[in-house]
Amino acid sequence: MNKSWQIPRRTFLKGVGTAIALPMLEAMTPAARALGAIEPAKANAFPRRMAFVYIPNGANMADWTPKAAGPDFELPYILEPLKALQPEFQILSGLALDKARPHGDGAGDHARASATFLTGCQARKTAGADIKAGVSVDQIAAEGLRRFTRLPSLELSGDPERPSGNCDSGYSCAYQFNLSWKTASTPMPPEVNPRLVFERLFSNSSAGESREKRAVRLRHHKSILDFVTEDAKALEQNLGDADRHKLDEYLTSVRELEVRLEQSERFATTLPDYLKPEGIPADNEKHIRLMYDLMALAFQTDTTRIATYLIAHDGSNRAYPSIGVADGHHDLSHHGNDEAKKQKIAKINHFHATEFAYFLEKLKSIKEGEGTLLDNCMIVYGGGISDGNAHNHDNLPILLAGRGGGTLQPGRHVRFDREIPMTNLYLSLLERLNVPAERIGDSTGKLEDI
Amino acid sequence: MAYRWIVLIWLLSAMMLMVAFPARAGSVQPETLGFEKDIKPLLSKYCYGCHGEKKKGDLDLRIYVDEKSVAGDRQVFEKLLKNLQAHEMPPETKLQPTAAERDLITSWVGSFFFPCDCNHPDPGHVTIRRLNRVEYNNTIRDLVGVDLQPAADFPADDSGYGFDNIGDVLSLSPVLLEQYLAAAEKILDGAIAANSKRLFICQPASGTKVECARKIIASFATRAFRRPVGDEELARLTALFISADADGESFENAIKLALEAVLVSPHFLFHEEVAFRSRSPQLARPIDDYALASRLSYFLWNSMPDEELLRQAARRTLRRNLEAEVARMLKDPKAQALAGNFAGQWLQLRNLKLATPDAKQFPDFDEGLRVAMQKETELFFEFILRENRSVMEFIDANYTFLNEKLARLYGIGGVTGGDFRRVALTGYKRGGLLTQASILTITSNPTRTSPVKRGKWVLENILGTPPPPPPPNVPELEAGKGALTGSLRERMQEHRASPNCASCHARMDPIGFAFENYDAIGAWRQKEGQFGIDSSGTLVSGESFDGSEGLKAILVKQKRDEFVRCVTEKVLTYALGRGLEYYDKCAVDQITRNLSKEHYRFSALILEVAKSAPFQMMRGKTIL
Repeated sequence: MNKSWQIPRRTFLKGVGTAIALPMLEAMTPAARALGAIEPAKANAFPRRMAFVYIPNGANMADWTPKAAGPDFELPYILEPLKALQPEFQILSGLALDKARPHGDGAGDHARASATFLTGCQARKTAGADIKAGVSVDQIAAEGLRRFTRLPSLELSGDPERPSGNCDSGYSCAYQFNLSWKTASTPMPPEVNPRLVFERLFSNSSAGESREKRAVRLRHHKSILDFVTEDAKALEQNLGDADRHKLDEYLTSVRELEVRLEQSERFATTLPDYLKPEGIPADNEKHIRLMYDLMALAFQTDTTRIATYLIAHDGSNRAYPSIGVADGHHDLSHHGNDEAKKQKIAKINHFHATEFAYFLEKLKSIKEGEGTLLDNCMIVYGGGISDGNAHNHDNLPILLAGRGGGTLQPGRHVRFDREIPMTNLYLSLLERLNVPAERIGDSTGKLEDI
Repeated sequence: MAYRWIVLIWLLSAMMLMVAFPARAGSVQPETLGFEKDIKPLLSKYCYGCHGEKKKGDLDLRIYVDEKSVAGDRQVFEKLLKNLQAHEMPPETKLQPTAAERDLITSWVGSFFFPCDCNHPDPGHVTIRRLNRVEYNNTIRDLVGVDLQPAADFPADDSGYGFDNIGDVLSLSPVLLEQYLAAAEKILDGAIAANSKRLFICQPASGTKVECARKIIASFATRAFRRPVGDEELARLTALFISADADGESFENAIKLALEAVLVSPHFLFHEEVAFRSRSPQLARPIDDYALASRLSYFLWNSMPDEELLRQAARRTLRRNLEAEVARMLKDPKAQALAGNFAGQWLQLRNLKLATPDAKQFPDFDEGLRVAMQKETELFFEFILRENRSVMEFIDANYTFLNEKLARLYGIGGVTGGDFRRVALTGYKRGGLLTQASILTITSNPTRTSPVKRGKWVLENILGTPPPPPPPNVPELEAGKGALTGSLRERMQEHRASPNCASCHARMDPIGFAFENYDAIGAWRQKEGQFGIDSSGTLVSGESFDGSEGLKAILVKQKRDEFVRCVTEKVLTYALGRGLEYYDKCAVDQITRNLSKEHYRFSALILEVAKSAPFQMMRGKTIL
């Protein structure tokens, strides 16, 4: 077996944590401030980061929801792996995705759950002709923070192969396999291969390349982008508006890339002391941990402040033989209240929580000033379906980890006494990033008690 | 002259439709139907209960007394149709219309609001589509002569209508454009390293440097754009060379810059068909010869046109020689792409990579077997394609392709070694796609067979009548009833006693149970654990059968037209890169009609699709 995926944990912490991340951050914050950006009021404050981690097919809620509200709650089975981290997160019970409900569109709860999760918008029911969801919260944040980092955002996924054929009940597959939407009709496709994630994060630090060669490449890239912009604009003149929309997408990407090239000049990176992953490990757990490592690296080096990670698409039928679940996840989730099936679902949920605990531990082990990287994070973990059998989109399994730079109150189970839109939570998180937004999808206001 | 071809289509505002019609009308003759005599009584019987006096959802259908009152409310009937087709309405707890009655309403709404005139067919509009990953790889291979597979690193393509080459769904994110930019450099480095003479068709002597550059760029761009490069385009590309040259870069690097720009240009990344695009939804016209050459080559090869196609396009002889060209292209090894991409998605064969049979129950399943399963189906598909066989052999054939590993799974002796060969199946209970291990595996759960999935697969991919999605809340078993026991079939029959589930499962399950003698990785079995297997059944349309052989016999005879129509729709969707609409019924009708005269040869189906109006022509489209 190939061993190159093995994570040199000590190297990771020692090498990156001290030698690279800290000097870079300190060097950067004033530069960002000089650009006139709104940064947190406190001087020397570390940037806040936001991430979303999506688990598919709902959860076995009896094993997810703590019995008591408030602090000192007892952790139910699924959350047990997070025991040591209990002071670092809060469980939010009672959040809902109203726009994932059919509202006359019939079946397709998996597609809607993913498409609505970060957008709060009702996905248009189409197998392709005119896909439409909404701009997702991570992309709103990415747009607001783009000046501060080399990459505006990072999108990850754990689905190595996409199923072919039709997706959920007449919804285009775009809805199920993308969490992040740049515009209502342009999803941000997530990266599955850890090697490519690594290259994306640290690409412009190819070892051994001379300064001159890099400068030439940059100049080439700029003239190519100028050239193709002209091409696209001329082409657009000859098109009707249905086609023009596609060219707009192209032009938007060109502009985005131009900004990115400038950013890459401003924020040169050093290759972190982390073994470059070789590809997608066959072992699911190793894959997940690599992705979490890379998210942590991206945050630690301040390469980006925004990330989304789709552990598996909603409706995923992956089996988890390594934890003794040979059946497909989606098959199981239609449990018909069969106790044995529910236990297997809880086991899968427990497994994902174990991996998430690995991620949080990693963030916690990275020092930032007096505190840790986790202190400056806001990480939403959960899914857009509550019970996989009922396909309901209220009372969702949602966990919020991190302290948001001292603005969050973790260590509690918060139970809302009425249904609250997920997007209210997002508005409150955006506020903490100093990215003002009045509304996201179906939001009705900010969520104060977090 | 060109205007001779122009067909004006007055489509009312049908292109603003959001309801996609299946291109089928069942057995009903819609023109003989009338609202008052045929439709109103059905609405009264099935709908007025809620959408009458009670005005549920603010809808009172009683106000529609005649066609005149209906005519102004198209949106109401679009929604009605959508709900009816999706089996959302009437709710399961209410009295249900029969399948024939559903058909009747569907046909009438279709013909009343969305009439089509097959004498003036509407070819529809294909949204400008970018190359997907496979197309990109193959195009680069044929363009630079080295198989570099640069798209392996691109993000996965989203799919719609069952395929990943649908223009509307193929989006272009910043990440992807970044990849295109990076790939362009790598591709040219790889191509120059492998064979620089192929790109550098001339050498710069002093003084003729720019001339030579222009030659190189023109040759490359013409092939990359799949059409002659325009003067202005060429001047702009050459200007890139000149500026890099002025910056003191080497000849090779300066050329590379221009060629990289070609590879990131929308003219390369998008299927062209642009220069002759009609912007008007009312105006349909033939696509030009270069666009046709591209459509053909991406349809059959998933790649750019070769020199011969471009030559014929230049001479405008492609339409005249269409039949010979299609035949030539199908003979080319590049036509293998149809097996990997069309069949891979039509049959969902690509899902085999995702299959995870339980290692304890199926110790025989390993990577070698997985690959063998896929290979069997691909070889079988290619054989039918290349040997001018009938599409009906997809359902039943007395041969297949095996190696030792797979033959052993099937219990067929005399096949040794890893190589595949054609094997006669006489005397074995195998034959056709439905009893191939690949299909049987992808329609199973990891731990057991799933007759529901198998039935659904046949309804979707063979009969073209997908069942509506399941209701969200699978009902609980009655308290005190205890766990279900017995064979899977017995347990499911008990489960299905619920009227909520019965209507759809009556369509899926009998089909699936016909294959119960094949386990979750497709091996033959006499028993399911301790229980005997009953693979007999009756279709909702009334035909009874015993086992897979019996079912296949029905599919071949009584269901032939449904199957032929289904394959035609799949091929047409794939060939066009868009979902089918109600007006495609004309094309589908014509293709299947002609096909029946050609003994259902698969190659004839390909040719008929290539000759069809939606493949040959296009109109404009406006967004809502």
